[in-house]
Amino acid sequence: MELKISLLTKDFQDTKAVNRVSCTMGNGVYGLLGINGAGKTTLMRMLCTLVRPSSGTITWDGKDIFEMGGEYRKLLGYLPQDFGYYPDFTVYDYLLYIASIKGIRPAAAKKRAETLLKQVGLSGVKNKKMKKLSGGMKRRAGIVQAMLNDPKILILDEPTAGLDPNERIRFRNLISELSQDRLVLLSTHIVSDVEYIANEILLMKEGSITLADTPENIISSMPERAWSLLVPRAEMGHYLKNYKVSNVKTVPQGVRMRILSEKRPNADAILEEAALEDVFLYYFGEKEGAGDDEI
Amino acid sequence: MMKYEIKKVFSRTGSKFAILLLLVVLGITCWLAAGVTYVNNSGVTETGFSAVRQLRSVKKEWAGLLDEEKIRAVIEENGRIASTPEAQSNDYRQNDIAYSWKQGFSDIRDLLNYAYADGFREYNYYKADSLTTDDAKNFYQNRIVLLQSWLDEEAKDQFSDAEKSYLLNRYEALDTPFIYDYSEGWHRLFQYSPTIIMITMLILGYLVAGVFSGEFQWKSDAVFFTSFYGRNKAVTAKIKAGFYIVTAVYWVTVFLYSCIVFLYLGIDGAGCPIQADMAGWKSFYNITLWQEYLLIVAGGYLGCLFMAFLTMLVSAKTRSTVIAVIVPFALIFLPSFIGGMEGPVISKVLGVLPDRLLQVSNALSYFELYRFGGKIVGAVPVLLIMYGILAIILLPMIYYEYSRKQIS
Ligand SMILES: Nc1ncnc2c1ncn2[C@@H]1O[C@H](COP(=O)(O)OP(=O)(O)OP(=O)(O)O)[C@@H](O)[C@H]1O
Ligand SMILES: [Mg+2]
Repeated sequence: MELKISLLTKDFQDTKAVNRVSCTMGNGVYGLLGINGAGKTTLMRMLCTLVRPSSGTITWDGKDIFEMGGEYRKLLGYLPQDFGYYPDFTVYDYLLYIASIKGIRPAAAKKRAETLLKQVGLSGVKNKKMKKLSGGMKRRAGIVQAMLNDPKILILDEPTAGLDPNERIRFRNLISELSQDRLVLLSTHIVSDVEYIANEILLMKEGSITLADTPENIISSMPERAWSLLVPRAEMGHYLKNYKVSNVKTVPQGVRMRILSEKRPNADAILEEAALEDVFLYYFGEKEGAGDDEI
Repeated sequence: MMKYEIKKVFSRTGSKFAILLLLVVLGITCWLAAGVTYVNNSGVTETGFSAVRQLRSVKKEWAGLLDEEKIRAVIEENGRIASTPEAQSNDYRQNDIAYSWKQGFSDIRDLLNYAYADGFREYNYYKADSLTTDDAKNFYQNRIVLLQSWLDEEAKDQFSDAEKSYLLNRYEALDTPFIYDYSEGWHRLFQYSPTIIMITMLILGYLVAGVFSGEFQWKSDAVFFTSFYGRNKAVTAKIKAGFYIVTAVYWVTVFLYSCIVFLYLGIDGAGCPIQADMAGWKSFYNITLWQEYLLIVAGGYLGCLFMAFLTMLVSAKTRSTVIAVIVPFALIFLPSFIGGMEGPVISKVLGVLPDRLLQVSNALSYFELYRFGGKIVGAVPVLLIMYGILAIILLPMIYYEYSRKQIS
């Protein structure tokens, strides 16, 4: 059970959305981290056979996924980034329809839909129209849809985008729960979404995967360390200019900053444990998402 | 699967309005078709069901074999009424009274105007009044004579010799004398059939236009195409849904329309040839009224299927519901664009454009002929066979187009 990507490339007119990506995935949760436009969606669409690669191959247990066709799609669950649905269908009808095109018999589909709806906490709204659900509920319905066929490969494209902190935590837990005995590939540009649940992090930048490892290894691979220091407000500009700053907080005595540096930036700086977010900052040179977007 | 596809179509608010609109149009068309009038003995025009009953009863008096004897009787009776003071009067109310006496044989009187016209394409309402009983024997023969002289003179460049002899042949093959009967139900049904069929077709086009493009507009395409059946059975289900929607909506509409008109006006005259009425007098198709009915509803159905499938193909190809909706409108109005041009080729092309399928009742009276392997046939069988085949050819094209779609 192995999804293998070799030298996968996708060109759009003048951009290389995905550039010579190679990697191998088995069971477990994979966090695909990258800033906007890194090529995450394009990579995932190719993995879902929705877009044909310009070059390179994707194989499942040695077989080309585009040649496998339906046999491969049977193993697949996909939640697209801009997840669309039939606005006038009820949640339940929507799920039964998706189940039918996934080739699940009606009786089994009903049972499966009920179980999953309960698991994600949507049992109460199953007879509501899709368009009447909140953003978070729609995403959950999206997860249920992807899980209907008990997929071996679950691909979730930014499933937490636009969710409030509570929903996001729920989602993280849900994904952990669902990740047993399958391959889950989850894209995000919010580090905390995958920091604790991913077995492996894939850092994607400008179409290429620059780093792929466990969160721990990725953190220890970073040459810079994280420091916490308290500086007078007047000196803040100096640090912002010369260091990668991962956090700034105003306190009565001045500002508390968290910065990345190989050397101790000043005598009072306290060494802190580096987190995945610091690595993200280190590699991408900027911090993605506003501070209030984080948990 | 298919059940949900149909549900997708009808869950749109626009679709519900479209069905409502169809019902309104159906109601109006039935009302128009049922608008029979009868002028009573005091010259007053009556409407409603009692008018139908009275008209039917006076026309029934003239029903039966339309032989020389009956033609003579009509000429005689018509002449008698024409010389009454009521008919001669300058007061239109008196004229109306005279007209009321003619209603029973008014259909036959119309035939006389055609049969004894000064030319094949002439029409003179008062021609019948100038006939004498001696003319009666030429009634059927005149139909052929007029065609013959028209083909020899005016239309001599319009048809090949083979076509001319084909037309004459068809005229001569008509079984005469034929039977005349009250057949208002059929004629009024035929008269408004193009309206109701065309509206049904446009509404069907609107309903099925989103079957394929909808997935892209709803952004549900990604999930659709990554599902197990997304590139095979689910596509077939969409095509089937389109087929069933066309079939159900079309036949329910036709059934309601026919039932209402027939219940109101009666189905008398089903076995009469279409030539027993002025609308079909010149037709070279030797068929009866119920056969014409079958051709009309079958043609309408094929036309609706063809247009709906073409709309669906455009919907799958362009991913745009708006462009797809335009297709049926374009096909209906296309003939009026090229209709401005003239020439034998244009007329041949016009004769087999799909809009003709929606108005078989009119197509039956056009002189459009086609040649296949030395055999000459009229436009109507060509239309039925050609669009039947085209509709079937469209199916694999739609399937091929959609099952290979990529996400962009
Ligand atoms: N259909 C397309 N045609 C042309 N260019 C495209 C197309 N799809 C994506 N791109 C380009 O490819 C690059 C990668 O886009 P992609 O959507 O894969 O990034 P992403 O990592 O998913 O971004 P985001 O976090 O914003 O979702 C971008 O520069 C984008 O403009
Ligand atoms: Mg994306």
